[in-house]
Amino acid sequence: MKKNIILKSNLLLLLGFVLLFSNCEREIEKDLKKATYSKDGTVFIDGFSAGLEYFPFGDSYFTAFTVDEETKYAGTASMRFDVPNVGDPNGAYAGAIFPDNGGRDLSGYDALTFWAKSTTAATINDIGFGQDFGENKYQVTLSALKLTTNWRQYTIALPDASKLTREKGLFWYAEGPENGNGYTFWIDELQFEKLGTIAQPRPAIQEGEEVTINTFLGVENTITGLQQTLNLGNGLDQTLSLTPAYFEFSSSNPAVATVNAAGEITSVSTGTAVITAKLNGVAAAGSVTVVVTGDFTPAPTPTQDPANVISIFSDAYTNQPVDYYNGFWAPFQTTVGGDNININNDNIISYSELNFVGIQFAVDQPTINVSSMTHFHIDVQAREELQAGDFLTIRLVDAGSDNTLGTGDDSSAEITLDNTDLANETWYSADVPFSDLGALTSRSNLAQIIFVSDATITSVYIDNIYFYNNGGSGPMGPTQAAPTPTRAAADVISVYSDAYTDIAGSDINPNWGQATMVTEVLIGGSNTLRYAGLDYQGLQLGSAQDLTSMEFLHVDYWTANSSALNMFLISGNTAEQAKALAVPTSGWASIDIPLSDFPSVDLADIIQLKTDGNGDIYLDNIYFYKQGGGGGTTPTSAAPTPTRPDADVISIYSDAYTNVAGSNLNPNWGQMTTVSEPQIAGNTTLLYTGLNYQGLELGTAQDVTGMEFLHIDYWTANSTALNAFLISGNTTEVPKALSVPTSGWASVDIPLSDFSPVDLADIIQFKFDGNGDIYLDNIYFYKTGGTGGLPALPLDFEDGSNPMIAFDGGATSAVISNPDPMGNPSSNVLQFVKAAGSEWYSGVVFDETLLTTPLIDLANGTVFTIKIWSPTAGVSVRMQLEGGASPAYEVFQTVNTANQWVTLTYDFTSQVNASDTYPKFAIFPDFDFSNQVPVATEAIYYIDDITQQ
Amino acid sequence: MQKPYFFKLNSLVLLVLASLFFQSCNPDEEQTVTNFTNLSFEDDFNGNGTVDAATWSFDMGVGTAASGAGWGNNELQHYTDRPENIKVEGGMLHITAHKESFMGAGYTSGRINTAGKIEQAYGRFEARIKLPWGQGIWPAFWMLGNDIDEVGWPNCGEIDIMEYRGQNPTIMLGSVHGPGYSGGESEGKSYELTNDRFDTDFHVFGIEWGPEYINYYVDNVLYNQITPADVDGNWVFDHPFYIILNLAVGGNFVGSPNENTVFPQTMLVDYVRVYSLSE
Repeated sequence: MKKNIILKSNLLLLLGFVLLFSNCEREIEKDLKKATYSKDGTVFIDGFSAGLEYFPFGDSYFTAFTVDEETKYAGTASMRFDVPNVGDPNGAYAGAIFPDNGGRDLSGYDALTFWAKSTTAATINDIGFGQDFGENKYQVTLSALKLTTNWRQYTIALPDASKLTREKGLFWYAEGPENGNGYTFWIDELQFEKLGTIAQPRPAIQEGEEVTINTFLGVENTITGLQQTLNLGNGLDQTLSLTPAYFEFSSSNPAVATVNAAGEITSVSTGTAVITAKLNGVAAAGSVTVVVTGDFTPAPTPTQDPANVISIFSDAYTNQPVDYYNGFWAPFQTTVGGDNININNDNIISYSELNFVGIQFAVDQPTINVSSMTHFHIDVQAREELQAGDFLTIRLVDAGSDNTLGTGDDSSAEITLDNTDLANETWYSADVPFSDLGALTSRSNLAQIIFVSDATITSVYIDNIYFYNNGGSGPMGPTQAAPTPTRAAADVISVYSDAYTDIAGSDINPNWGQATMVTEVLIGGSNTLRYAGLDYQGLQLGSAQDLTSMEFLHVDYWTANSSALNMFLISGNTAEQAKALAVPTSGWASIDIPLSDFPSVDLADIIQLKTDGNGDIYLDNIYFYKQGGGGGTTPTSAAPTPTRPDADVISIYSDAYTNVAGSNLNPNWGQMTTVSEPQIAGNTTLLYTGLNYQGLELGTAQDVTGMEFLHIDYWTANSTALNAFLISGNTTEVPKALSVPTSGWASVDIPLSDFSPVDLADIIQFKFDGNGDIYLDNIYFYKTGGTGGLPALPLDFEDGSNPMIAFDGGATSAVISNPDPMGNPSSNVLQFVKAAGSEWYSGVVFDETLLTTPLIDLANGTVFTIKIWSPTAGVSVRMQLEGGASPAYEVFQTVNTANQWVTLTYDFTSQVNASDTYPKFAIFPDFDFSNQVPVATEAIYYIDDITQQ
Repeated sequence: MQKPYFFKLNSLVLLVLASLFFQSCNPDEEQTVTNFTNLSFEDDFNGNGTVDAATWSFDMGVGTAASGAGWGNNELQHYTDRPENIKVEGGMLHITAHKESFMGAGYTSGRINTAGKIEQAYGRFEARIKLPWGQGIWPAFWMLGNDIDEVGWPNCGEIDIMEYRGQNPTIMLGSVHGPGYSGGESEGKSYELTNDRFDTDFHVFGIEWGPEYINYYVDNVLYNQITPADVDGNWVFDHPFYIILNLAVGGNFVGSPNENTVFPQTMLVDYVRVYSLSE
């Protein structure tokens, strides 16, 4: 359309009118500034109103709009809009603005009204006014306006007419195909009117929600969800989306956060401020509570060559498309959030109310082949204080060779971070080699990344999720942990090591103006200090240290690209002295620097360490030590904590169990051995110093015929001979030689059959002989419930083996990756396929041949629980205890909910004798006793976590 | 108001009898249209606190033994005499419906009547009211025959001067109920405002009731006249009636509130005036 020039003369005329007829009591100059604009409310009656123009959206179907003189509601013409089909090469949608660039004064109106109809029932995506291809200052959008095939009148309310004194944008719309198909709609008698029937304004920001934003200094957040809801004359509410210019925003505490006219919130100091708004004097529902918590430290910028990276989520790389960053897996997922945080142009995934959540790339987007990659990287930051027991498991799931999730060939592997890895508001970088993720048997169809915290950690930030190949030219970082230190804790002052208690309160990244990027990364299970792009870097000790009794500084370090590296000690008198370290390294290098190499510093007052040089450096096990009386004669860690259930154990000496009472650890059998009980890493340990022989007299004779093994943990640096004896009341004794010396703690599980002919029903004493200094712990008899490492209740199928036999008539069972992590975050579950044609009573039964002793001892409990996932609701699931000396017993439970994990509880208490044992149990999903006909249609059930309580 | 309503809209012609009225600086007096000029009762609600007990009695709870729960209409509110529900303040009677759990009901509101206190046969009865709004909101200004305890409803007669559905903010209704024309068979008519609505400002709702006729008007518009010829039964409007003001929530006439209904909702009454035949 040509620009209409009539408007200009109208304006001149109006101005002239004001000059001639203004009230003489007013000053003319003031009135001159009050130039008014056309109050014409008509937009299109039978043609363009004066000044009206037409501009289609740039990527729309340009010829969508025509003036139609045949189809019209009234008068001689209507506006016709031809919406294109999906994929129309000339534009896939229809959309345009109809401005009067002279501007009109619409403040006397309260509605934009029009008559409309369409060739098919249709829903206009967006329609409104206030778009002018300029500021769009007072844009109004009504979404989802439904049209019918009959002419009907529609109303779009003016949210605040007083703002519209010079509005250019008189009408706009944007509409795509309906169900993929183009169609036509008509609009007629389009005009602004004063209806007088629009009332009850209810403005809102954030769509009326009271939201809280945890943010950081200098970060800008924008108020969204700006709305006005009005009640139309027909009694129906209409909600419009608005631009910020309609609102007046205010901050309860501008010293903390300011808000501008555009609704942009800027945080200026730490604290809390509440942002609210008004529209035309009416308070808007909803608010934004801004909690400013200080400076934000972004995750370390990835340094991997993009050519060697497949990225899921990182600003540093091109990311692969995903189905979603949060699947909102109903009904048990509570987690909210996703790729929703942008801090200073750093996009971050924020999850809150976390219990579990998944990122998926499997359905709408293809799975991702990362088989050419060697490592998985992820940066995680907890957004809350953590306690012991808090954890975050990160699981990678591959859809298997069929490229379909939920089928039997899926595989998965996971890493778990706990409160020793993660800390509030601190980034943690994990670089996990796939060699540590062996359970992920394929990674060519990677489909999900699942985060599970079971609500122990509820708020995290995630960034830089990517896979990389560390390249043929040498690894970019170590794939294994630094060697575990072996020095006795008593001989060590540790600065940074998982093996010791570090000096409390140290700052690993003091701001000394350096460019070095410091992170802590988990490598092979060990927290490791990483200096990326080293120029120099300090490490401020939590307290000044007197090292005069120490002899060496130990440092483990790793670098592939450094050409210069110095380690400094700095004392309180500001004296510092460097020691050059050889770089680059081939794998981990360990150096023990005599403290005498630092003569310039005051070893009685060491306050800082410093590193300078270049490249990317990994550091671990930074500690001072003395060699002590010969070195390495004391275990530095406790013996491994036993994990066998109490019920399977008769314990002689262990903190983990109740030991046989009244035992004498040092009976006087004339031996030379000195017996003591030192604390090793907080664990009471038995120490035989200068062993020749040593007895241990049990408080009461023990019948261990129900047991299978004798377990002993032992540690010795200097023994060359060591035997353990069992002695029975008939004075029979049999020795078992133990391998010495040990490298760290050694654990031995001796089959009791090795002690034949000792009377296992009457064990009264232990004896050790040999030489050297021996640490002993966790001496106990146990049964496996099998022949070692075999199944016991609870059965969780996590080891991937299937102890359940399916029966009868073609039913099958298999252990597979959990196809539905909602409500059961377990990795592996039992799949039971009740195949068509299989028996109505088909089910799964525990394979009793796996065990030599009964699986179920009812003394441990007579209530059992089973997690089960059924494709249909209302099916009866029978559980039966069977195969024992006593009769089989059954309990029935019903699955009330289909297609989700439910837990069924089977209480046998009233039926069984609690002293009985059963070698097996059976589960009968859909035990249809009333019909007893073979299965007509295959049904797949999933079973997990069978417990005894 | 004890049964569902269905109005016979037997005439759509609105009688805009503007020529009958004279202009005045006081808009409240624009309704002086007949010879009912003797002010026999007036409550301007000028006090502060509760309503004048000499004039008004509270109807309480969820119904009476006669009406049953829901006041005969499946209404959802529990009527109370708490100031939250009924108060006089700022020259206005406030009857306010709240969405709250109260003695088993989901809503509370108020209802007052002049039974045994202000009763009159014939006259001009009017009130100036700003109505609430929203789905399921049902305010009313109405009257019942004072012989209801003797003859029962509908033999006592019912004159609904104003009732209104909150979801139709431009439409009110006036009607009569009597023997043979009660509930769904009542006689009445609706009146729709043009370019205005009832919940944004005050409007005067009134009747002129004489032997053989009841005229209905809103502001200065007489929109209906009901005579004995219009009703399918005995004319039972020749004895004293008393006045009721209430704000119901839900019920057969309006349906239940929905998620868009805004609470609380208040019916503001500026005054109630009753005129009798001039001497």
